[in-house]
Amino acid sequence: MAEIFVNMGQIEVARADGVLVTVGLGSCVGVAIYDRERMVGGMAHVFLAASKDGKGITQPGKFADTAIPALVEAVMQAGGRRSAFQAKIAGGANLFPKLQAASLNVGRQNVMAVKEHLQLNNVPLRGEDVEGNSGRKMTLYVKDGIVVVQSIGDKPREI
Amino acid sequence: MDDSQQLTPQQLDLLRELGNIGAGNATSALSMMLQDRKLEMVVPEVAILSLPETTTLIGGPEAIVAGIYIAVSGDVDGHMAFLIPEGSAKELVGSMLGEESAKFDEMGCSVLEEVGNIVITSYLNAISEMTGLMIMPSVPGLAIDMAGAIWSSILAGAEILDDFITVIKTDFASEGKQIAGHIMLIPGKAGFGKFFKILLGTDRG
Repeated sequence: MAEIFVNMGQIEVARADGVLVTVGLGSCVGVAIYDRERMVGGMAHVFLAASKDGKGITQPGKFADTAIPALVEAVMQAGGRRSAFQAKIAGGANLFPKLQAASLNVGRQNVMAVKEHLQLNNVPLRGEDVEGNSGRKMTLYVKDGIVVVQSIGDKPREI
Repeated sequence: MDDSQQLTPQQLDLLRELGNIGAGNATSALSMMLQDRKLEMVVPEVAILSLPETTTLIGGPEAIVAGIYIAVSGDVDGHMAFLIPEGSAKELVGSMLGEESAKFDEMGCSVLEEVGNIVITSYLNAISEMTGLMIMPSVPGLAIDMAGAIWSSILAGAEILDDFITVIKTDFASEGKQIAGHIMLIPGKAGFGKFFKILLGTDRG
Protein backbone atom coordinates (compact mmCIF):
# COMPACT_ATOMS: atom_id res chain seq x y z
CA MET A 1 0.00 0.00 0.00
CA ALA A 2 1.62 3.20 -1.20
CA GLU A 3 1.24 6.15 1.15
CA ILE A 4 1.68 9.49 -0.53
CA PHE A 5 2.32 12.52 1.64
CA VAL A 6 0.66 15.81 0.66
CA ASN A 7 2.57 18.84 1.94
CA MET A 8 1.27 22.40 2.45
CA GLY A 9 0.05 23.93 -0.79
CA GLN A 10 0.49 20.72 -2.77
CA ILE A 11 -1.79 18.41 -4.78
CA GLU A 12 -1.22 14.65 -5.16
CA VAL A 13 -3.20 11.83 -6.78
CA ALA A 14 -3.28 8.06 -6.26
CA ARG A 15 -5.01 5.00 -7.70
CA ALA A 16 -6.30 1.63 -6.48
CA ASP A 17 -5.00 0.83 -3.00
CA GLY A 18 -3.13 4.14 -2.81
CA VAL A 19 -3.40 6.19 0.36
CA LEU A 20 -3.07 9.98 0.49
CA VAL A 21 -2.07 11.56 3.80
CA THR A 22 -1.72 15.12 4.97
CA VAL A 23 -0.42 15.96 8.42
CA GLY A 24 -0.59 19.14 10.41
CA LEU A 25 -3.74 20.75 9.07
CA GLY A 26 -4.25 23.84 11.21
CA SER A 27 -6.16 26.64 9.56
CA CYS A 28 -5.40 24.87 6.26
CA VAL A 29 -8.09 22.67 4.71
CA GLY A 30 -7.42 19.21 3.29
CA VAL A 31 -9.61 18.44 0.28
CA ALA A 32 -10.11 14.90 -1.00
CA ILE A 33 -11.80 14.32 -4.36
CA TYR A 34 -12.31 10.77 -5.62
CA ASP A 35 -14.10 8.54 -8.12
CA ARG A 36 -14.96 5.41 -6.15
CA GLU A 37 -15.79 3.15 -9.09
CA ARG A 38 -12.62 3.95 -10.97
CA MET A 39 -10.67 3.88 -7.69
CA VAL A 40 -8.81 7.10 -8.25
CA GLY A 41 -8.51 10.08 -5.96
CA GLY A 42 -6.56 13.21 -5.17
CA MET A 43 -5.85 15.46 -2.23
CA ALA A 44 -5.01 19.14 -1.86
CA HIS A 45 -3.66 20.92 1.23
CA VAL A 46 -5.18 24.41 0.87
CA PHE A 47 -3.37 27.22 2.69
CA LEU A 48 -5.49 30.33 2.05
CA ALA A 49 -8.87 31.15 0.51
CA ALA A 50 -7.76 33.17 -2.49
CA SER A 51 -4.73 34.29 -4.41
CA LYS A 52 -4.25 38.04 -4.75
CA ASP A 53 -2.47 40.28 -7.25
CA GLY A 54 -1.74 37.31 -9.50
CA LYS A 55 0.46 35.72 -6.87
CA GLY A 56 0.51 31.99 -6.34
CA ILE A 57 0.02 30.99 -9.96
CA THR A 58 3.11 28.80 -9.71
CA GLN A 59 1.60 26.91 -6.76
CA PRO A 60 -2.12 26.47 -7.50
CA GLY A 61 -2.54 24.09 -4.55
CA LYS A 62 -2.01 26.92 -2.07
CA PHE A 63 -5.30 28.74 -2.63
CA ALA A 64 -8.87 27.41 -2.62
CA ASP A 65 -9.82 29.29 -5.79
CA THR A 66 -6.98 27.73 -7.79
CA ALA A 67 -6.59 24.44 -5.90
CA ILE A 68 -10.08 23.03 -6.49
CA PRO A 69 -10.01 23.33 -10.31
CA ALA A 70 -6.42 22.02 -10.34
CA LEU A 71 -7.37 19.06 -8.13
CA VAL A 72 -10.40 18.24 -10.33
CA GLU A 73 -8.13 18.35 -13.38
CA ALA A 74 -5.44 16.19 -11.74
CA VAL A 75 -7.93 13.45 -10.75
CA MET A 76 -9.41 13.51 -14.27
CA GLN A 77 -5.90 13.15 -15.73
CA ALA A 78 -5.43 10.13 -13.49
CA GLY A 79 -8.54 8.51 -15.00
CA GLY A 80 -11.39 9.83 -12.86
CA ARG A 81 -14.75 10.88 -14.29
CA ARG A 82 -15.90 14.33 -13.37
CA SER A 83 -19.53 13.24 -13.08
CA ALA A 84 -18.59 10.62 -10.47
CA PHE A 85 -16.52 12.90 -8.27
CA GLN A 86 -17.25 13.20 -4.58
CA ALA A 87 -15.42 15.31 -2.00
CA LYS A 88 -14.59 15.21 1.69
CA ILE A 89 -12.85 17.98 3.59
CA ALA A 90 -11.10 18.41 6.94
CA GLY A 91 -9.28 21.24 8.76
CA GLY A 92 -9.96 24.94 9.01
CA ALA A 93 -9.24 25.10 12.74
CA ASN A 94 -8.40 28.23 14.70
CA LEU A 95 -5.36 27.34 16.81
CA PHE A 96 -5.00 30.80 18.33
CA PRO A 97 -8.58 31.74 19.28
CA LYS A 98 -7.29 34.50 21.57
CA LEU A 99 -5.71 36.29 18.62
CA GLN A 100 -8.31 35.83 15.92
CA ALA A 101 -11.99 36.52 16.33
CA ALA A 102 -14.15 33.57 15.30
CA SER A 103 -15.87 35.57 12.56
CA LEU A 104 -12.69 36.51 10.70
CA ASN A 105 -10.44 33.57 11.36
CA VAL A 106 -8.43 32.15 8.49
CA GLY A 107 -9.61 28.59 9.08
CA ARG A 108 -13.29 29.43 8.70
CA GLN A 109 -12.56 31.55 5.62
CA ASN A 110 -10.69 28.61 4.10
CA VAL A 111 -13.58 26.22 4.77
CA MET A 112 -16.07 28.63 3.22
CA ALA A 113 -13.90 29.19 0.15
CA VAL A 114 -13.29 25.46 -0.35
CA LYS A 115 -17.03 24.73 -0.14
CA GLU A 116 -17.81 27.54 -2.56
CA HIS A 117 -15.30 26.29 -5.13
CA LEU A 118 -16.42 22.66 -4.79
CA GLN A 119 -19.92 23.87 -5.58
CA LEU A 120 -18.72 25.99 -8.51
CA ASN A 121 -16.98 22.90 -9.87
CA ASN A 122 -20.06 20.70 -9.28
CA VAL A 123 -18.36 18.32 -6.87
CA PRO A 124 -20.76 17.15 -4.14
CA LEU A 125 -19.46 17.32 -0.56
CA ARG A 126 -19.97 13.94 1.15
CA GLY A 127 -18.28 14.54 4.47
CA GLU A 128 -16.52 17.10 6.58
CA ASP A 129 -14.67 17.51 9.86
CA VAL A 130 -13.90 21.21 10.14
CA GLU A 131 -13.21 24.23 12.41
CA GLY A 132 -12.68 23.85 16.16
CA ASN A 133 -9.31 24.60 17.80
CA SER A 134 -7.23 21.49 17.06
CA GLY A 135 -4.87 20.47 14.29
CA ARG A 136 -5.70 17.40 12.20
CA LYS A 137 -4.17 14.57 10.23
CA MET A 138 -6.25 13.48 7.22
CA THR A 139 -5.99 10.19 5.32
CA LEU A 140 -7.84 9.24 2.10
CA TYR A 141 -8.12 5.55 1.22
CA VAL A 142 -8.60 5.93 -2.52
CA LYS A 143 -10.05 2.43 -3.06
CA ASP A 144 -13.25 3.13 -1.13
CA GLY A 145 -13.28 6.90 -0.64
CA ILE A 146 -12.95 6.58 3.12
CA VAL A 147 -11.40 9.55 4.88
CA VAL A 148 -10.03 9.23 8.40
CA VAL A 149 -9.34 12.35 10.48
CA GLN A 150 -7.37 12.46 13.71
CA SER A 151 -6.48 15.19 16.20
CA ILE A 152 -3.94 14.90 19.02
CA GLY A 153 -5.31 12.95 21.96
CA ASP A 154 -8.48 11.99 20.05
CA LYS A 155 -9.65 8.77 18.46
CA PRO A 156 -9.57 8.66 14.63
CA ARG A 157 -12.89 9.70 13.08
CA GLU A 158 -14.18 8.35 9.80
CA ILE A 159 -16.00 10.77 7.51
CA MET B 1 9.17 38.25 -8.91
CA ASP B 2 9.66 37.98 -5.23
CA ASP B 3 11.75 40.45 -3.23
CA SER B 4 13.07 37.87 -0.81
CA GLN B 5 14.73 35.95 -3.63
CA GLN B 6 16.89 38.93 -4.40
CA LEU B 7 18.58 39.43 -1.05
CA THR B 8 22.24 40.28 -1.39
CA PRO B 9 24.89 38.49 0.69
CA GLN B 10 25.23 41.68 2.72
CA GLN B 11 21.49 41.73 3.43
CA LEU B 12 21.54 38.08 4.42
CA ASP B 13 24.37 38.88 6.85
CA LEU B 14 22.29 41.68 8.32
CA LEU B 15 19.33 39.36 8.86
CA ARG B 16 21.59 36.83 10.55
CA GLU B 17 22.94 39.65 12.72
CA LEU B 18 19.38 40.60 13.71
CA GLY B 19 18.81 36.97 14.64
CA ASN B 20 21.99 36.92 16.66
CA ILE B 21 21.18 40.03 18.65
CA GLY B 22 17.55 39.11 19.17
CA ALA B 23 18.02 35.45 20.01
CA GLY B 24 21.03 36.23 22.21
CA ASN B 25 18.87 38.43 24.40
CA ALA B 26 15.97 35.95 24.24
CA THR B 27 18.05 32.97 25.36
CA SER B 28 19.66 34.89 28.19
CA ALA B 29 16.17 35.89 29.40
CA LEU B 30 15.11 32.24 29.21
CA SER B 31 18.27 31.13 30.99
CA MET B 32 17.54 33.58 33.80
CA MET B 33 13.98 32.26 34.16
CA LEU B 34 15.47 28.78 34.50
CA GLN B 35 17.70 29.74 37.43
CA ASP B 36 20.73 30.41 35.24
CA ARG B 37 20.55 27.08 33.48
CA LYS B 38 23.07 27.22 30.65
CA LEU B 39 21.59 27.48 27.17
CA GLU B 40 23.57 27.05 23.97
CA MET B 41 22.48 29.09 20.96
CA VAL B 42 23.20 27.93 17.42
CA VAL B 43 24.20 30.55 14.83
CA PRO B 44 20.99 31.90 13.27
CA GLU B 45 19.99 30.60 9.88
CA VAL B 46 18.29 32.73 7.25
CA ALA B 47 16.12 30.36 5.26
CA ILE B 48 14.39 31.35 2.03
CA LEU B 49 12.04 28.50 1.27
CA SER B 50 8.87 27.61 -0.55
CA LEU B 51 5.82 27.02 1.63
CA PRO B 52 6.10 23.19 1.71
CA GLU B 53 9.84 23.38 2.29
CA THR B 54 9.36 25.42 5.46
CA THR B 55 8.09 22.33 7.30
CA THR B 56 11.72 21.12 7.38
CA LEU B 57 12.49 24.08 9.69
CA ILE B 58 10.21 22.77 12.41
CA GLY B 59 11.43 19.17 12.43
CA GLY B 60 8.56 17.69 10.41
CA PRO B 61 4.85 18.47 10.57
CA GLU B 62 3.66 15.65 12.83
CA ALA B 63 5.81 16.19 15.93
CA ILE B 64 3.88 17.62 18.86
CA VAL B 65 5.14 21.02 19.93
CA ALA B 66 4.15 23.96 22.08
CA GLY B 67 4.05 27.10 19.94
CA ILE B 68 3.80 30.68 21.14
CA TYR B 69 2.93 33.19 18.46
CA ILE B 70 3.21 36.98 18.53
CA ALA B 71 2.44 39.40 15.70
CA VAL B 72 4.77 42.36 15.32
CA SER B 73 3.70 45.88 14.37
CA GLY B 74 5.02 49.42 14.75
CA ASP B 75 7.83 50.73 12.53
CA VAL B 76 8.30 47.22 11.17
CA ASP B 77 5.89 44.37 10.64
CA GLY B 78 6.46 40.69 11.05
CA HIS B 79 5.64 37.52 12.94
CA MET B 80 7.43 35.67 15.70
CA ALA B 81 7.14 32.12 16.90
CA PHE B 82 8.73 30.26 19.79
CA LEU B 83 8.45 26.52 19.17
CA ILE B 84 9.46 23.85 21.65
CA PRO B 85 8.98 20.08 21.39
CA GLU B 86 6.48 18.54 23.80
CA GLY B 87 9.17 16.99 26.00
CA SER B 88 11.06 20.27 26.31
CA ALA B 89 7.85 22.13 27.08
CA LYS B 90 7.07 19.72 29.94
CA GLU B 91 10.62 20.05 31.26
CA LEU B 92 10.33 23.81 31.07
CA VAL B 93 7.00 23.97 32.90
CA GLY B 94 8.29 21.48 35.47
CA SER B 95 11.39 23.46 36.23
CA MET B 96 9.49 26.77 36.39
CA LEU B 97 6.95 25.34 38.83
CA GLY B 98 9.44 23.16 40.68
CA GLU B 99 7.44 20.02 39.94
CA GLU B 100 8.60 16.64 38.77
CA SER B 101 5.79 15.87 36.37
CA ALA B 102 4.45 18.85 34.49
CA LYS B 103 1.08 18.88 32.77
CA PHE B 104 -0.40 21.13 30.14
CA ASP B 105 -3.23 22.13 32.42
CA GLU B 106 -4.35 25.72 32.92
CA MET B 107 -1.31 26.47 35.07
CA GLY B 108 1.12 24.74 32.74
CA CYS B 109 -0.27 26.54 29.72
CA SER B 110 -0.14 29.93 31.36
CA VAL B 111 3.50 29.32 32.32
CA LEU B 112 4.34 28.38 28.73
CA GLU B 113 2.53 31.39 27.35
CA GLU B 114 4.32 33.74 29.71
CA VAL B 115 7.75 32.20 29.05
CA GLY B 116 7.13 32.48 25.30
CA ASN B 117 6.00 36.06 25.75
CA ILE B 118 9.18 36.99 27.63
CA VAL B 119 11.45 35.15 25.18
CA ILE B 120 9.88 36.81 22.14
CA THR B 121 9.65 40.31 23.63
CA SER B 122 13.31 40.05 24.74
CA TYR B 123 14.21 39.23 21.15
CA LEU B 124 12.22 42.18 19.86
CA ASN B 125 13.57 44.58 22.51
CA ALA B 126 17.15 43.81 21.50
CA ILE B 127 16.36 44.47 17.84
CA SER B 128 14.52 47.64 18.76
CA GLU B 129 17.48 48.91 20.77
CA MET B 130 19.93 48.09 18.02
CA THR B 131 17.93 49.78 15.27
CA GLY B 132 16.04 52.48 17.15
CA LEU B 133 12.86 51.22 15.51
CA MET B 134 9.62 51.07 17.45
CA ILE B 135 8.54 47.43 17.56
CA MET B 136 5.23 46.47 19.17
CA PRO B 137 4.40 42.88 20.06
CA SER B 138 0.80 41.64 20.10
CA VAL B 139 -0.55 39.57 22.97
CA PRO B 140 0.82 36.02 22.83
CA GLY B 141 -1.15 33.04 21.55
CA LEU B 142 -0.35 29.50 22.66
CA ALA B 143 -1.13 26.20 20.96
CA ILE B 144 0.03 22.69 21.79
CA ASP B 145 -0.49 20.65 18.65
CA MET B 146 1.15 19.14 15.58
CA ALA B 147 4.06 21.32 14.53
CA GLY B 148 2.72 21.58 10.99
CA ALA B 149 -0.69 22.76 12.19
CA ILE B 150 0.83 25.49 14.35
CA TRP B 151 3.37 26.59 11.78
CA SER B 152 0.93 26.70 8.85
CA SER B 153 -1.63 28.58 10.96
CA ILE B 154 0.99 31.22 11.76
CA LEU B 155 2.00 31.58 8.11
CA ALA B 156 -1.62 31.67 6.97
CA GLY B 157 -2.47 34.29 9.60
CA ALA B 158 0.49 36.26 8.25
CA GLU B 159 -1.23 36.07 4.82
CA ILE B 160 1.97 35.08 3.09
CA LEU B 161 1.14 34.93 -0.60
CA ASP B 162 4.65 34.93 -2.05
CA ASP B 163 6.21 31.78 -3.48
CA PHE B 164 9.16 32.09 -1.12
CA ILE B 165 9.16 32.82 2.59
CA THR B 166 12.11 34.28 4.50
CA VAL B 167 12.54 32.94 8.03
CA ILE B 168 15.28 33.86 10.50
CA LYS B 169 15.56 30.79 12.69
CA THR B 170 17.68 30.37 15.80
CA ASP B 171 17.94 27.07 17.66
CA PHE B 172 18.89 26.76 21.29
CA ALA B 173 19.33 23.88 23.72
CA SER B 174 20.24 23.37 27.36
CA GLU B 175 23.46 21.50 28.13
CA GLY B 176 21.84 18.08 28.41
CA LYS B 177 19.34 18.93 25.63
CA GLN B 178 16.41 18.48 28.06
CA ILE B 179 15.15 21.84 26.89
CA ALA B 180 15.51 22.76 23.22
CA GLY B 181 13.60 24.81 20.74
CA HIS B 182 13.45 27.29 17.89
CA ILE B 183 12.87 31.02 17.77
CA MET B 184 11.58 32.19 14.40
CA LEU B 185 11.24 35.68 12.98
CA ILE B 186 9.33 36.13 9.75
CA PRO B 187 9.90 39.73 8.65
CA GLY B 188 6.98 41.38 6.87
CA LYS B 189 7.32 43.26 3.61
CA ALA B 190 7.64 46.68 5.24
CA GLY B 191 9.99 45.26 7.84
CA PHE B 192 12.71 44.27 5.39
CA GLY B 193 13.15 47.66 3.82
CA LYS B 194 13.34 49.54 7.11
CA PHE B 195 15.81 47.13 8.68
CA PHE B 196 18.14 47.35 5.71
CA LYS B 197 17.90 51.12 5.44
CA ILE B 198 18.81 51.65 9.07
CA LEU B 199 21.42 48.92 9.36
CA LEU B 200 23.17 49.65 6.09
CA GLY B 201 23.08 53.36 6.82
CA THR B 202 24.96 52.81 10.07
CA ASP B 203 28.72 52.85 10.08
CA ARG B 204 29.47 49.33 11.15
CA GLY B 205 33.26 49.65 11.04
